[in-house]
Amino acid sequence: MIEFQEISKKWPDGTAALSDVSVSIPKGQFCVILGPSGAGKSTLLRAVNGLMQPTGGRVLIDNVELTPVSACSLRRRVAMIHQHFNLTSRMSVAANVLAGLLPVVSTSRAILGWFTPAHRAKACALLERVGLNPKHVHRRAGELSGGQQQRVGVARAFMLDPEVVLADEPVASLDPKISREILKLIRDAARERNATVLCSLHQVDLAREFGDRIVGMRDGKIVFDGTPEEFTEERVEALYHGARWEDAPVVEGDASLDEMTLQLAVA
Amino acid sequence: MDMKPIPVPAQGTKLDWHLDQPYRAKHLLLLIAVFALLIFTGHRTEMDKMVVMTGQAVGNIVGLTDDSQVVRGLLRVGESMWPPAIGTEEEVARLTDLDREHLPFLASIETRERVEQHLNTDSLQMEEHREQVELLVKPLGYAWTVFIKMLETIEIALWGTLFSVVLSVPLAWYAARNYSYNRFTYTLARGTISLLRSMPELIVALFLVLAYGFGPIAGVLALGLHAAGFLGKFYAEDIENADKKPQEALEAIGAGKLKTLWYGVMPQVVPQYIAYTLYILDRNVRMATVIGLVGAGGVGQELKGRFDMFQYDHVATILIAIFIVVFLLDQFSARLRAKLI
Repeated sequence: MIEFQEISKKWPDGTAALSDVSVSIPKGQFCVILGPSGAGKSTLLRAVNGLMQPTGGRVLIDNVELTPVSACSLRRRVAMIHQHFNLTSRMSVAANVLAGLLPVVSTSRAILGWFTPAHRAKACALLERVGLNPKHVHRRAGELSGGQQQRVGVARAFMLDPEVVLADEPVASLDPKISREILKLIRDAARERNATVLCSLHQVDLAREFGDRIVGMRDGKIVFDGTPEEFTEERVEALYHGARWEDAPVVEGDASLDEMTLQLAVA
Repeated sequence: MDMKPIPVPAQGTKLDWHLDQPYRAKHLLLLIAVFALLIFTGHRTEMDKMVVMTGQAVGNIVGLTDDSQVVRGLLRVGESMWPPAIGTEEEVARLTDLDREHLPFLASIETRERVEQHLNTDSLQMEEHREQVELLVKPLGYAWTVFIKMLETIEIALWGTLFSVVLSVPLAWYAARNYSYNRFTYTLARGTISLLRSMPELIVALFLVLAYGFGPIAGVLALGLHAAGFLGKFYAEDIENADKKPQEALEAIGAGKLKTLWYGVMPQVVPQYIAYTLYILDRNVRMATVIGLVGAGGVGQELKGRFDMFQYDHVATILIAIFIVVFLLDQFSARLRAKLI
């Protein structure tokens, strides 16, 4: 179980990325975080493994508070899947997956790249599980396609059988078909291990399809929290309202002009 | 759900669009200042004289001026350097352990007549004295000597490079801002690197020859210390500039600094490291010939000896050998790089 208690984060320049976010995610839940760019989704995820130090509040994982002292033992129970895959591109696929074991492997073994047979077998099993085949094992990670790289990223994340999986926009740079496959992999692999998944997404349809629960964020605050059924079109509209002008600056006549000037004044 | 709308500029608002000229008066002033500085330092470094002398030399070559100091100097050296010395001749009488039945490879014994002037003490006249001298002629004798010395130089360069790599790896770890333990270790490592880099090999070798005596030890240490400063700086900067994404992924699962460096940084920077190390090897071969001048072993020591004895034909052989070695090394490192990257 992950519990955020009044987490807030102010960047040094004064912008508030998160303001007093409190939410708790029960064990085994696939929780999707939705929201426009800059809403604080990534910042919230990164608070779970301490990649981001919150300026206020605390995070508890199974009732253990994340502190610099507990971070070391907590981090190996929290896996992360990244938007840009974050693989070492010049290293082989096998080495990238085995790198997921680094917290539990001795330094000398890690430096020699001499992993135990059990560990190597596990890497192979996970690579098979995510849909790669043996000829990929010795290829450089950077040579694979985006979808394949994210499969390697998923395999790496599950090497330590994590209790929590953080997926930071895992499919943002993939096409819809592969996006669905990757999310399915994450969901199924997490279910097998009864792992909690915290996944930030941009695609509303995918959020509805995969999420047990959807948390909508906007300007560092939670503005929606409910099941996919409750996340209606109006809610979507409200969540993204006003944030879409950046992508498509459409101005509909004079009426909206007045409205906007009014909004400016309010802001 | 109450939400603040994101502010949008009202339609019709005049925005301030403009692109300025790239140059202003201050650029002209800067240009004049740089020009003045160049003229000042150019005079102090005798660049004006250089232009005049080179002009004379060119004029002399095309036949416009009668005399040129530069051409005279170069011709004199050039004449005494040609042909390069390849073989050696030694007096058999001076060789104590020569086995006439088993001469060295390619060697032969030649007999020549030597004329010497002797003072006759009775008549107080100079008399010509002829004698037959046996000489052991080795047609490739000097080339072989240079080859052996060159090999020693390459060995010095190799060991110097090895030494510098071993020394610079821990230095680079501490001198990389994102991996050093704290500000103190960072400053210490950076300071050491600057110190090592600021000491030219030749001067370090000069002092190390005093400490370790003539020979390759001083050479290896001098090359290693200087190159460690160079490599430490570049290794550290590559660690700092490496792609942060894989490092973040490993940091997120708590892999620890050393393992993160090994799995998240090293694979990405290895091609650059190989390039730097090969450059250092190349540089060390060239520098190893130079530091021999102060007695730190190798072909440079031989060069210095021959130069001081005005045996420019021998010097020519050495210079050709250096050129060949540097050229071959260049080819070798280019191939190695192409293969590894």
